[in-house]
Amino acid sequence: MKRGLITWHKGELPPQAFETRLAAAHKVLSDRELPALIVYSDVSRSNQGRYFSNFMPYWNRALLVIPREDKPVLLCALSPRVYPWIKSVTILEEIKPSPNLTQRVFEMAAERGWKRIGVLDEGGLPFDLYSQLHGGDLETFDVPFADVRPGPDEWELPMYARAELLTREVLAAELPHGVGLGDHEFVGRLERRYRLAGAEDLVILIANGSSPAPPAGAILRPGFGVAVALEYRGHWVRVAPGGDAEFL
Amino acid sequence: MAEHGWDVLLLYGHPWRKDFFRCLVNVNFSGPYAVAALMRSGEVTALASHPWDADLVAPALNGAATFAKDFAAGLHRFVPAGATVAVAGLELMEARFVHALRDGVGAIPVSATSQVEELRRFKSAEEVECLKRAADLADRGYQRFAEVIEPGMAEYELVADVEGFLKSNGAEDNFMLIASGGTEVTGMKPPTERRFQLGDSVTTELTPQIDGYYAQICRTLVLGEPNSQQREAFSIFSEARQAAEDLLKPGVDIADVARVQNDVFRKFGWGEYTGLKYTRVRGHNLGLHPDESPYVLEDVHYTVRKDMVVIAHPNTYLPLSGYMVYGDTLLVTENGCTALNLAERKLFVK
Repeated sequence: MKRGLITWHKGELPPQAFETRLAAAHKVLSDRELPALIVYSDVSRSNQGRYFSNFMPYWNRALLVIPREDKPVLLCALSPRVYPWIKSVTILEEIKPSPNLTQRVFEMAAERGWKRIGVLDEGGLPFDLYSQLHGGDLETFDVPFADVRPGPDEWELPMYARAELLTREVLAAELPHGVGLGDHEFVGRLERRYRLAGAEDLVILIANGSSPAPPAGAILRPGFGVAVALEYRGHWVRVAPGGDAEFL
Repeated sequence: MAEHGWDVLLLYGHPWRKDFFRCLVNVNFSGPYAVAALMRSGEVTALASHPWDADLVAPALNGAATFAKDFAAGLHRFVPAGATVAVAGLELMEARFVHALRDGVGAIPVSATSQVEELRRFKSAEEVECLKRAADLADRGYQRFAEVIEPGMAEYELVADVEGFLKSNGAEDNFMLIASGGTEVTGMKPPTERRFQLGDSVTTELTPQIDGYYAQICRTLVLGEPNSQQREAFSIFSEARQAAEDLLKPGVDIADVARVQNDVFRKFGWGEYTGLKYTRVRGHNLGLHPDESPYVLEDVHYTVRKDMVVIAHPNTYLPLSGYMVYGDTLLVTENGCTALNLAERKLFVK
């Protein structure tokens, strides 16, 4: 779960990065004559909302609404008590309390006169939201993520490089000391070091005579392997020294 | 299944919500998606989106686990055409997967979420053992928290240490929030770079997961000698927590478990701080998900039954102290409830 340091260092990711990404979204909306784009976000699917706003929910779900000719608005089921924190780590200036996300979308659409709307990766919406969205008068259009983000941009690549370096450095320091330790103990050591270095989220699997899997209370044997998926400020990398590259 | 006319019950999971899958196949998958299928015959099979997960699940199902990198295509083939399919977790499922099921069987599946949630509310002896182990780890995790914290340390550094401790001691996962400071603090959130100062009130809820099951502990710690307002606030929270535990037993409406907590705040003139503006819930069910229903709220009506596992926590903001938290994981017994946490019940001081 997301319990690491969630922050926004503008030296790493300048506001210009988000302005550029939003401009690309605005162009797609303009080309397709759509007044707005909605972007779904939850604990395990935060990357798209993060890309446009740096918002990452540590809990619950949210919709980022990107009007074609206005600033993005976050529709959020989290308590208004955490809005100051959200604003401190994102570009967002407006957050609307939204216990019912789709109802709030319909209200926004009515207020602004929208009859149709783009939905980023519409097939990826949770089925309850998808059904509710299709139960109203608003016409929806799928916008694939690749249409607004053809590939990593100039700000993403250094972040991925930083995340990979961090992942490899800790592994290089800890792997030589793993044999003979319990797998839980070893994972705990990695977890502590990664979180201290700023990891937001982690999945650590151990290959100890079998396919990589969560630790199971075994002693690490010579030749054991580790697969680490690490999120550093919204940027996921996966590293598995000697691992199965096809699935990394 | 027979009563509802379901031929196949699917239990869907993704990384945030593995709970429906794990209530039937208690294996900690780590890929993007997994689904377990229960046939009316009792046969159980599973489909995972990652081959490592299929390898992990297969021994639990005598090999009846397969992998499909294209999960939608895999689902399309996973259930027999024409079957009546119900899905626990349908609402969480990506729409494209529901459509793949529809195309495979010829109809949109129905939701089995509420029926399966109801089954999950009452824990077996085996499940209670897992929760006891999780509560024990929560206690030890909080002890670590209280030992390690010191002025000058950043919130995220403390969380990193506790997280490492919990993982070293067998936690599969942990849900943890934190806050620190004075009366300006209105709620908990992920850790920040803020550094602890003498006089801070530091709140946390720790929720480690053992063998799939989450137990939670909520405690507040003051760095340095607590001031009179912090002590006064804690005495109110303590009375509210005790009121909930005194009431919680089979046959009670969960709304009343919220009401008796809130009544304590009202008695002391702080009733306005029991609403949604200042707090979320006065507790919730626990199990394979750290935030299960029913929520402990005055407008949620549900009759408590034996073997439910609930946390009652009067967590809220008060002008006296800022946000404060206090609560333990409780097992509903024949005549009352018993705390699974054994950590000291006090305002911690460091």
